Amino acid sequence: MCVRFEPSNVTEMNDWIAIGALALVGVLIPFGMMAVSYLLRPTVPETSKRATYESGEIPTGGTRIRFNIQYYMVALLFVVFDIETVLLFPWAVAYQDALAADIPLVRALGPMLLFVAILLVGLAWAWRTGAVQWARTPRQLESDRP
Amino acid sequence: MTVDVQYYVLLSMAVFCIGLFGVLTRRNALLFLMSVELMLNAANINLIAFAFYHGNLTGQLFALFTMALAAAEVAVGLGIILVLYRNFRDVDVTVPTTMRW
Amino acid sequence: MAVLELPDWMALAPALILAGTALVLFLIDSIEPHSTNRTLLSGTAVAGSLSSLAVAVWFTVAGVGATGIENYGVIDIMNGQFVVDQLALYFMIIIAVVTALVTVASYDYLQDHTYQAEYYSLVVLAATGMSMMAASNSLVTIFIALELTSLPSYALVAILKDNRGSVEAGLKYFLIGALSSAIFVYGVSLVYGATGSLQLTRIATVLESGDGAVGEMGGLLGLGILMLIGGVAFKTASVPFHFWAPEAYEGAPAPISAFLSSASKAAGFVLAFRVFTTAFPLEATTGIIGVDWTLVFAILAIVTMTLGNFAAATQENVKRMLAYSSIGHAGYVLIGLAALSADGGDLVMGAAMMHLLVYGFMNTGAFLFVGLAEYWGVGRTFEDYNGLAERAPFACGAMAVFMFSLAGVPPFSGFWSKYLLYTELINAAADNTVLLVLAAALVINSALSLYYYSRLVKALWIEEPLLDRDRLAQPTGLYAAVIAAAVMTVVLLPAFGPVADAALEAAAAVVA
Repeated sequence: MCVRFEPSNVTEMNDWIAIGALALVGVLIPFGMMAVSYLLRPTVPETSKRATYESGEIPTGGTRIRFNIQYYMVALLFVVFDIETVLLFPWAVAYQDALAADIPLVRALGPMLLFVAILLVGLAWAWRTGAVQWARTPRQLESDRP
Repeated sequence: MTVDVQYYVLLSMAVFCIGLFGVLTRRNALLFLMSVELMLNAANINLIAFAFYHGNLTGQLFALFTMALAAAEVAVGLGIILVLYRNFRDVDVTVPTTMRW
Repeated sequence: MAVLELPDWMALAPALILAGTALVLFLIDSIEPHSTNRTLLSGTAVAGSLSSLAVAVWFTVAGVGATGIENYGVIDIMNGQFVVDQLALYFMIIIAVVTALVTVASYDYLQDHTYQAEYYSLVVLAATGMSMMAASNSLVTIFIALELTSLPSYALVAILKDNRGSVEAGLKYFLIGALSSAIFVYGVSLVYGATGSLQLTRIATVLESGDGAVGEMGGLLGLGILMLIGGVAFKTASVPFHFWAPEAYEGAPAPISAFLSSASKAAGFVLAFRVFTTAFPLEATTGIIGVDWTLVFAILAIVTMTLGNFAAATQENVKRMLAYSSIGHAGYVLIGLAALSADGGDLVMGAAMMHLLVYGFMNTGAFLFVGLAEYWGVGRTFEDYNGLAERAPFACGAMAVFMFSLAGVPPFSGFWSKYLLYTELINAAADNTVLLVLAAALVINSALSLYYYSRLVKALWIEEPLLDRDRLAQPTGLYAAVIAAAVMTVVLLPAFGPVADAALEAAAAVVA
């Protein structure tokens, strides 16, 4: 599995001119639109326009509040399982080649299935021990206490 | 048009040193964790640049493993910092001194 | 002996059994969350580690990994990512033994603990990592095994969540561990940059042939090797990454201290032995980086053993004393790497491995005795231990065996392994004066260590207790583990010949 990268032999700066032009246009369009709307729109100051937009809800309280620790558990589970998928990328890259090289399906697919199965054991464990339980009723809290 | 490998190494060394500086000077456990992440990612820059330089994929693959392990390390670290906060009401790493260094 | 025809990957069975045990423990905990069925959980962990031990011993006896006509030869798995040879099996045995002792002892220690299943599965997972480390033959697998060992260990040290000492110990262990693993990975990336490979034998091939740009990258390679040594120093609790050891061992639950100071240290050393004998052949590497890397280990060995022993002599807390003595012993074993430059260096390394096995029994036993004392609740300092022998003569007898063996007093196996190390070192020192300094440091430090080890024995057996004690309980599991460790420390004597031969042979096979 050895890949040689061919160094590109483009020496002139043509590519970069195109990129620069694209960046310039990309900056000009939004600023141009804002400038045009500033010139055209009527100005009607009103307090409700300055309120925080919360999907139509009336905002209450500040933003610097403490979050429930449950968010931490879910976020952590997400991070761990999400990042584990990067380990599938090398397998995915090699899979087609492995099939083309007549490697039996069990050997090509097996390691990935084993890996996912181990992750599933972990997920099942986290689920059963209450790591993904979103909120607890007072009665549940009472029964958990020894 | 390619960038020579030594510039990647310089970049990664700079990132590594920033991380090391953070580790040595920060007292907040969370910032410590971020600094360690910087150091790990400095190694990733190196690995990927050298994989390109040597023309094999080993380094890129190892970088993937490093990323996954860094995530696992952060998960364990955050758990420990959480119990630290519960016990000491602070995430300053110099606060817990029930045992002397 | 007839061995069944097994596929190659089955040679990793000792590690795979441990991995399977960990998964079974997770399944048990999933089926019955927060189970307090200690017999089932502890029993599963003990059964797993004992079967791992049995398979490793069977493989060794059957000649798996040994070269020769009758034997099976070194087994290469996954294109050289793993290799099962005598060295790997030898360390798998050490790790399985310590895991079994620790899990037996934990049965009582964890009596009213909330997280039973988590505890055992983490212990077994860490043991899996250590066992894999013994067989790893590529910097990729080594790093994964290293993290698989470290991550559960951090959690285990901090597992007494409401105990401030335990949490503080876990934090410090984690902080230094995270830092050292970042340094280790950076070292790996530099070595990869210089050689273009992560597989140990291929690194050696590139270094020896000297082709490509390796010659110009001596600086990078040297820095990379230095950073790898940093990672090894953390795992083995040697200078300069030893700060965590006293804190972590003092704050952690005593069985975990035993586990970390014996098994984790052995795993760190197998990593060092494997990487430095396989990947960095001495002459070729010296030619490229301009410095002989054994010199670094010689300096580290002297500093580590001196610092460990002097600090241990000043401690009042028993667990902390044992922690510093454990640093001192890491210094003795580092001699095995420092002597590789001389003729007969493989014999010194074999002797160092022998010392690690003996240390696995005596040090685990000593920490488990401290666990027993914590179970009784007698306190932590030397004075608190005064006169314990009146109430618990068997356990204190075992502790005396451990202490004298650790100090290297003649009849016990600790003496024989140290003696072997010393004589081989003197033999190898014929053409290398640095080794004579090492030998002198070894003798001086051993003499000093006798002072603080015998101080504890004096407290146990001679001093009068400060206050009258009621009868002490006799927890089965802890007692069984302590007595078993003591018996093994003594019984290794008649078995010393074959075991030492196994260690020397394994070392010779790797160095050659």
